[in-house]
Amino acid sequence: MNFTTDVVIGLEIHIQLDTKTKLFSSSPTAKKKDSANSKCDVINLGMPGTKPRLNKEAIHKALKLCLATNCEVAPELVFSRKSYFYPDLSKNYQTTQYEMPLGEKGFVTLMSGKKVNLTRIHVEEDPAALTHPSGMDASKFSLIDYNRSGNPLCELVTEPEMHSPQEARDFLKQLIAILSYLKIFDNQNGIIKADANISIKEKDYTRVEIKNITGFKEIERALNYEIERQKSEDVVLETRGWDADQGITKSLRKKESEEEYGYILDPDIPVTDITQEMKDACDIPEMPYEKALRIIEEYKLTEEDAHIIAQSQSLAHLFEKAIKTVSASTAVTWMRHELNRVLNYNKLELEDIELNEEQMLVLMQMVEKKELTENSAKKVLNKLIIEPVDVKAFVESEGLGAVSDKGALEAFCKEAMDANPQVVEDYKSGNEKALNFLLGQVMRKTKGAASPPELLEIIKSLI
Amino acid sequence: MNGFAVEEEYQEKTQGELSNLKVSVKDGICVKGMQSAASSAMLIGYKPLFNATAVQRLLDKGAKVIGKTVQDEFGFGSFCLNVGKGFTAPTNPRDEERVCGGSSGGCAAVTAQLGDDHVSLGESTGGSIVCPAAYCGVVGLCPTYGRVSRYGLIDYANSMDKIGPIAKSVKQCAETLSVIAGSDEHDPTTLQIPVENYTTYLGKGVKGLKIGVIKESKDVDEAVLNAFEETIRLLKEKGATVEEVSLPLTTKYGIEAYYVLALSEASTNLSRYCGIRYGASEPLEGTFNEYFSKVRGKYFGKEVKRRILLGTFARMSGYRDAYYMKALKVRTKIIEEYKALFKEYDVLVSPTMPNLPPKIAEVEELTPLEQYMMDVLTVGPNIAGMPHISVPMGKGIPKGFLIIGDHLQEGKIIQVAYELYN
Repeated sequence: MNFTTDVVIGLEIHIQLDTKTKLFSSSPTAKKKDSANSKCDVINLGMPGTKPRLNKEAIHKALKLCLATNCEVAPELVFSRKSYFYPDLSKNYQTTQYEMPLGEKGFVTLMSGKKVNLTRIHVEEDPAALTHPSGMDASKFSLIDYNRSGNPLCELVTEPEMHSPQEARDFLKQLIAILSYLKIFDNQNGIIKADANISIKEKDYTRVEIKNITGFKEIERALNYEIERQKSEDVVLETRGWDADQGITKSLRKKESEEEYGYILDPDIPVTDITQEMKDACDIPEMPYEKALRIIEEYKLTEEDAHIIAQSQSLAHLFEKAIKTVSASTAVTWMRHELNRVLNYNKLELEDIELNEEQMLVLMQMVEKKELTENSAKKVLNKLIIEPVDVKAFVESEGLGAVSDKGALEAFCKEAMDANPQVVEDYKSGNEKALNFLLGQVMRKTKGAASPPELLEIIKSLI
Repeated sequence: MNGFAVEEEYQEKTQGELSNLKVSVKDGICVKGMQSAASSAMLIGYKPLFNATAVQRLLDKGAKVIGKTVQDEFGFGSFCLNVGKGFTAPTNPRDEERVCGGSSGGCAAVTAQLGDDHVSLGESTGGSIVCPAAYCGVVGLCPTYGRVSRYGLIDYANSMDKIGPIAKSVKQCAETLSVIAGSDEHDPTTLQIPVENYTTYLGKGVKGLKIGVIKESKDVDEAVLNAFEETIRLLKEKGATVEEVSLPLTTKYGIEAYYVLALSEASTNLSRYCGIRYGASEPLEGTFNEYFSKVRGKYFGKEVKRRILLGTFARMSGYRDAYYMKALKVRTKIIEEYKALFKEYDVLVSPTMPNLPPKIAEVEELTPLEQYMMDVLTVGPNIAGMPHISVPMGKGIPKGFLIIGDHLQEGKIIQVAYELYN
């Protein structure tokens, strides 16, 4: 390939599909809390005499990913054996796809509008997990936890078309959005891991592979580190590992030749047709990038607002619901800017919280109907993000409701004016700012539950 | 008894239509709680947590498992002499100096020593049911690939492994096949086609059947050829039409394609034996690579190592296209060659083995290649997945008559076999 950019990045991403059972056995898939070796069966352990049984749910979910990323889908489902000896591999071969991956030649569109092409997407089984109780370096032995053995994975390989760590991060973010829209990935228990190939122009594009990067923030960190390292050191063809704790990459092995896996077709798994019915059953919803384009068009949102809302399925869903009863600007203000403010304050990410769609909707509607002032609504949101509250009940108990009873407001205003006759005089003699003092007094009395413009109106009329 | 790896003394009384049936099981077929080691030192101590489907189906009808029979280690042999350390190679019950054939040698040896109330479950990849049946003078039936579930079979070459019965009579084989055949959710390669009651083919005669004699199969020992021609005359007398047919491609490339495919698959199947989780183990020392190399070096037999090396070579990049991929194509051509003949002929016949059961001392003189060539007549139907049955023919030292049918035509081969041997 002829590269011209300063940095060239390609990604290989492993996504654990969210299925009830494993890829080739009826053993339930493990949750994080499960104790070691409690979720595995004779098949996952590679016991002599066992045979794999293909999980249709996994194929359905993998097919969804292929279709949602615009892949050409293979006519047949073909599995192969990839042979290598490693203690985490119960059969010392991995059942994977080689000759004919499930999907090829797809693409994912980033928020920027750039298309990143996908070489292939294939399905394979996860090996077991090796654990080292006293740490990788100190431990004299490895323990094997077969809970992970046989988990269904999708491996997605991109073309080397990303040119900055930021772009790699955007790619991973967009991919995670797609996975959540398709409901094929379990945020809580699932694993998504990336290996990145990265090379820089200054070093003649000598390719380094970085293994085991988890999450989109980590990928940006790892690649930023690696670019700086490559600029300051000699670069050799090698595989490095990302150490997130230390924030550095470490050499794992030099690549002298291509690895030898001795692939053969897996004769235990019959080749089957991938039918039109199987594809139709996938029923792909509108994907985040397309959704963003549509809400820009329909509601005149800024590109940034639209993409950020569209990337989260929960936000996007809330937006589409809210837009029926509140204005686009109210929706964007509360779902983007105000929500962000509260998240930042609490050092949270959108993914960390469970957005209470119903109560968010109530909040926005109250703002829209002026039943809440902005100040009060902010207080409600602060609460709502960190704990489940009933917005209406909270407003009531805290007395945050906008005081819209004109008589009551007039009484407050009159009281303030009576207490500060000098201020009223100042205003009368032409000092406009004097009114702000009165406004402040009333706002304090009403705990911010009154609308300032309306109060000003009342005060003026009383004077 | 000569031929057993594990013999069960105590038998509980059972209920069911097969409560009088004793079943011996090839060592490589899993029986729950009973050591199932494929006669390899590597698997001594492996007691499966489950029954093979074929075993389970017999147990469900009340049959009793009386033991595991010795075999060539992982099925790698034609004489049942390649048994692992800790196992005793069976001898031919008809002549102790001779071999009993392989790889299901123990099955045939035990069958020859027991009566009509016994059946043995054997397994064939390239001829391992009919070869020992022929050498021991009993009946062996290898069904269509996918007709009997392989669940619980310790794999040799998954795309060619078949479980089938070895018994004293054609009737017993037909009855047993009727029970063990059929689709199985635990083995996705089983065929989703209803199972026939194969005993309905017993006694139907051969009148009007068209039988093809495989021309290339006549290059065999004189004693074998004489008995074969005598049997052909008998079939003609009974009203069958007999013609000579030719399988040039199968004869020329069958053995090569078979060994490339079988060993490629076998070399991946045997990777899992590394001294953790089950079977043989050694004190934990060194790295993983050092550890498993030590275990495999110590517990695999010589023939196993040879086949792993050959199979690994045939699938390495650079050789893969020339050997493994090519052999896959040859297999397709071989199936087509058989299929073309079955458009015209009901069954094809040949001698089962080209020779009389050799003496143990004679086999020890043979090179590995000469040993592989012994499979010349049995490899064809095995690589093509065609059902075949061997029945005793002639007098004196045992010899087998091989009847091959089209896919799923077990009925027809049983029909012909019964006419020759009942």
